[in-house]
Amino acid sequence: MQTKTNNQRGWVRLDNASNIFLAAMSTTDTKVFRLSAEMQNEVDPVILQQALEKTYAQYMLYHSVLRRGIFWYYLQYSDIKPQVTRDVLPPCSQLYHFDQSELLFRVIYNHHRVHLEVFHVLSDGTGALWFFEDLLKEYILLRHPEALEDITNEQRQIEQRHLEDSFVTYFRQGEQQNFTESAQSALRKFAKSSKRAAFEYGRKAKRFVWTTKRKKRQKRKVHRIVGKKTADNRTKVIELEMPVREVLNLAHEQDATLTMYLIALYFEAIREASPTFQTGETIAISVPVNLRQFYPSNSERNFFSTVKLKYTYPQEKEVDVKKICDTLTKQMQHQLTKENLEKRLSRLISFEYNPFNRLVPRPIKDGILKIVNYFNNRNLTVAMSNLGRVSFPTFLESYVDTLYFHTSAVRPQFCVISHGDKLSISFTSPYLETAIQESFVRKLTQAGVEVTVAANKVTTSELRGEEE
Amino acid sequence: MKYCPHCQVNVKGEWAKCPLCQQSLAATETLENVPSPYPDIPLRFSKKKAFKWLTLSSLLIIVGFFVGGFFFPSPMSVWQMSLFGIISLWLVVLIIIRKRRNIAKGIVYLIVFSSLICFYLDYLAGWNAWSTTYAIPIICSFATVAMFFAVRIVRLKVGDYILYLLTATLLGFLPTTFLFFNWTTWPFPSQLSLLLSTMMFIWIIINHGKDILSELQKRAQI
Repeated sequence: MQTKTNNQRGWVRLDNASNIFLAAMSTTDTKVFRLSAEMQNEVDPVILQQALEKTYAQYMLYHSVLRRGIFWYYLQYSDIKPQVTRDVLPPCSQLYHFDQSELLFRVIYNHHRVHLEVFHVLSDGTGALWFFEDLLKEYILLRHPEALEDITNEQRQIEQRHLEDSFVTYFRQGEQQNFTESAQSALRKFAKSSKRAAFEYGRKAKRFVWTTKRKKRQKRKVHRIVGKKTADNRTKVIELEMPVREVLNLAHEQDATLTMYLIALYFEAIREASPTFQTGETIAISVPVNLRQFYPSNSERNFFSTVKLKYTYPQEKEVDVKKICDTLTKQMQHQLTKENLEKRLSRLISFEYNPFNRLVPRPIKDGILKIVNYFNNRNLTVAMSNLGRVSFPTFLESYVDTLYFHTSAVRPQFCVISHGDKLSISFTSPYLETAIQESFVRKLTQAGVEVTVAANKVTTSELRGEEE
Repeated sequence: MKYCPHCQVNVKGEWAKCPLCQQSLAATETLENVPSPYPDIPLRFSKKKAFKWLTLSSLLIIVGFFVGGFFFPSPMSVWQMSLFGIISLWLVVLIIIRKRRNIAKGIVYLIVFSSLICFYLDYLAGWNAWSTTYAIPIICSFATVAMFFAVRIVRLKVGDYILYLLTATLLGFLPTTFLFFNWTTWPFPSQLSLLLSTMMFIWIIINHGKDILSELQKRAQI
């Protein structure tokens, strides 16, 4: 009954898990992330607009605007029509303003690039990638109708099947047509479908909280990077692109996955280039883990958990990348065991169903979450996120060149995505300094990787093209 | 494309210096020039500049009050008055920036802020009841009227402003309590505020009663 009335109203209460993004949002860290694609040809804004309208019509969640209530934030269905725009704002500019109803995503174009910027409250990287992939598919099919002509009938059937198998098509034809359903929290949906009582989750979670509290006694000093902030709080972006094979080979030489290898390199770069770093300090990184790979879910909403990986630089011993990779891999494996994952999910779900949360007015909840966030941040040096390898149906593949991905940042961080034979790594930071990024890049180029760099301009002298 | 011999990287776009190490770039002949994927976007504002101007204005306020106080002695100390000036300056700037997207909300904040500051000033200056007799009733009466027109000029949606219009109207009933406690020296401004607020209240309930209910239901859901 409740759902039915909500349906008529067209609004859904925002889940607790997404509230943290609102509490942590600031003018520096807008909690917006950007997915970009470099196309083979100059982008045609009229066709992009048509593609956007087609895609938008299929993704009900993207019709949401965010409003504030006394106890909750809520996502409200809106009939605003999205418009593609030129790239005139700094990357990852604020999408949600407290007193305005506006869509929580934007589609931008510039020369050969199409960008999708999404407010993290709406969706996570994987969820947004579904929308982005569909947007690009629609765009390519409209812009290059010959793409379909080039392939034989037989191939077409295979491609068709490939499209139908994909997650995207699955939810597109299913229940997601409904706004209330698609805006529903991924955790609630999961908890409901797995038919386990929330009560049980709560009990389990309580035990979990207690045990971790007792264990956490040893305190190590976590290194924090400080720097000079940009004048108008814009994010400094440094984007690298390189052949994926070469970097993969380097990672395999260290018996590590690409993610672990890149994190280890980043740690080394911080050790070398962060001016305040002292041996004996710990570097900690937060890495999001997509929960959809462990628990089948077709929700576009946030469905991830973060894992914290740490490495303490010993006082006397020599350190190499291999050692760091091994330590990090062990930590990651431990945190992703079935048991630990269950605990993680239980904790998230119990938080979602906690009755106490319902009775606390929103501003107080926001305040509490702000404090929680502050203490979480104190124990983190950096962050990273890897969206992995993205592929399109083969007949569309050649129209997309490179994919890029980055997010707004409260602390230095990097994002990784790959497509075809190209890997892109984008560093974002609220600070002007680039010493860490420089050190990271030099490690790669010294190992023989060919790297191309692009960056945005953030100071008056850079914008004027002056030599300082 | 340009090349940084120190970092050994190719650099997209027009850069005089390497965006990584800030050293001079070399030109490459083999690779064609690639424009930067990030267009030059001028700075939207400069925190430093805004802060500098506000601080400078604050100093000017202090100097102004000292000079003024020298010629026209006042019952309040120069420091108190300067403090009021500075608080007003910073708070008004803050309210306008923070609430720039919803004019109705901004007006409610300004009504509350200016009423409180008048009340406190009156108290510090030895309580002549000018704030409760004139300032607050007049601010409350006409701010509501101002809001009524302002939301039409900037075309705010009913749902976005109706609760704030209601709040402003209810604030307009506040001067009635001044009459009740006998805090006024002349009742007319408070009576006017009562009259205007009552009219506005009736108008809102008749025209937008349903909107208010649905907004409240949505915003106050537990």
